[in-house]
Amino acid sequence: MVLWVLVILGSASTLRAILGPTVWDRILGLNLLSSKIVMIIVVFAFLLEKSYLLDIALIYALFGFVGVVMIARFVEKRGRL
Amino acid sequence: MSVVVGNILIVIALGFIICGVYGLFRFRHFYPRILIASKVDTVGFITLMAGIMVKSGFNFFTLKVLIIVGFFVLTNPLITHSVARSAYKSGYPLPEDDA
Repeated sequence: MVLWVLVILGSASTLRAILGPTVWDRILGLNLLSSKIVMIIVVFAFLLEKSYLLDIALIYALFGFVGVVMIARFVEKRGRL
Repeated sequence: MSVVVGNILIVIALGFIICGVYGLFRFRHFYPRILIASKVDTVGFITLMAGIMVKSGFNFFTLKVLIIVGFFVLTNPLITHSVARSAYKSGYPLPEDDA
């Protein structure tokens, strides 16, 4: 039940990322989708009683942070990192 | 008793996240949109993880979830600040009146 609600909300975030008018709207939608995926992984790990799935959630959050910050700096510097 | 409290916290968290995604489509300008989406989403994440920690009890699982919550609380304002700074430095105009 919780998983289905989170999947629907992640699809709505993806819709914002697809039809956003500017590039920063797309980055915002990508960030929200990343946080929804971390929530889904943690709920799934709780339902399965498997503790090692939380490592995947932590690594996904780490790479999402680095990726979004790098994309934002890339757009700000207009292609010159 | 802890299962009931955990379920109530998870339902409250889903309400917060639904409000955040609704605000993502409600506002017409970029800066109110990023403000609402980021703050409500962070609060929903903290409340959902608190519900899962209450339901799980005091064990190793709870400690790892607590590490994820600490990392997320530390990095999500940094992501929002980075995106908003990128938009402002690139010359995206501020709204004239309230959206």
